[in-house]
Amino acid sequence: MISRSTTVLVGVASLFAGLAIPVANAQQVSGPVRVVQLTGLVGVKDNAKGTLSVESGNLHFVHGKTSWDVNAASIQDVATAEDSQRAVGGTIGLMSMAAPYGGGRVLSLFRTKIDTLTVLYRDADGGLHGAIFTMPVGTADVIKKVLVAQGAHTTATGDSTPAATSSTSSKEQKQ
Amino acid sequence: MKRILSAGFRLSLFTLIFAASPLLAQKSKPTKIKAAALQVEMIQSDEIKLPAEFQVALYENLIRQLEKNGFSHVYRDGDRNAASVADRVVLHSTVRGFKAGSERVRQVTTVSGATSITVHCQFTRADGTSLLERDVNGKVRFFGGNLKATYDFAKKAAHVANENFSMAGRE
Repeated sequence: MISRSTTVLVGVASLFAGLAIPVANAQQVSGPVRVVQLTGLVGVKDNAKGTLSVESGNLHFVHGKTSWDVNAASIQDVATAEDSQRAVGGTIGLMSMAAPYGGGRVLSLFRTKIDTLTVLYRDADGGLHGAIFTMPVGTADVIKKVLVAQGAHTTATGDSTPAATSSTSSKEQKQ
Repeated sequence: MKRILSAGFRLSLFTLIFAASPLLAQKSKPTKIKAAALQVEMIQSDEIKLPAEFQVALYENLIRQLEKNGFSHVYRDGDRNAASVADRVVLHSTVRGFKAGSERVRQVTTVSGATSITVHCQFTRADGTSLLERDVNGKVRFFGGNLKATYDFAKKAAHVANENFSMAGRE
């Protein structure tokens, strides 16, 4: 018979393992990366989920059946940053705020690390656009390196350093 | 009977005064500056160190909110099509203050961890003549991520533009 304390211990261990595994998996990028497009791409809704990849000189975002391409040469700046988001979000996260004895607040302490990729690019008329993506930790720098290798410009030289006017890369800046 | 009539008269008089006051206030509103188009320059933050995602979110949300407010001709920074538009108003935005805050702290404490951004907005003619200057701030106090402050700023800035500028096809 498994004691109650053992069950609780296994549960807590599983929770932390669930939070840690994506971090470990994210270090290597092969193929499209699952991302959330926070804002910026023309015709794409905010917080749209999709996949991001760099293919033949283009930043390629696929959402559902439609795809968007941004030519790497038209990218003025690429910046990456570390961030975190609620482990339990969405409707459940919102509903948990009503949980008694501050249960919802405890839940909000659990956060998963993510990367943000910010891209500044110009359209055919020279108009400046900006797009922000969130993705698993460790993947943004890889995408940035590939983009720069394929002709994208960047003002930040180091890894995980926001470009241009930004220099603070503290966690939780965005979320 | 006389008292009822008198009370009724007073009531109708008060109603008239209160109903008329907004109409009178509207007359005192400043006249809107006419503009054929609005061009939004990229958000500048030379003095304040602002994360790149905030800079981009401020810019994108601002353009989106201006379009939502009925500005049909909103040009982006560097758009070549804007150069040919006469009577164009250019919006220059400079970040004057930024407090990053923390969503986690907001959710745990409720009272602290607010994110705030103050942006100086300057509306000029294409030749640089200043038309209007205003400090606009964006905040997120309770719910939502830190980037929500950029949305709050954009809404307020679009409201300022809406109050002071009129474009062909809208009033």
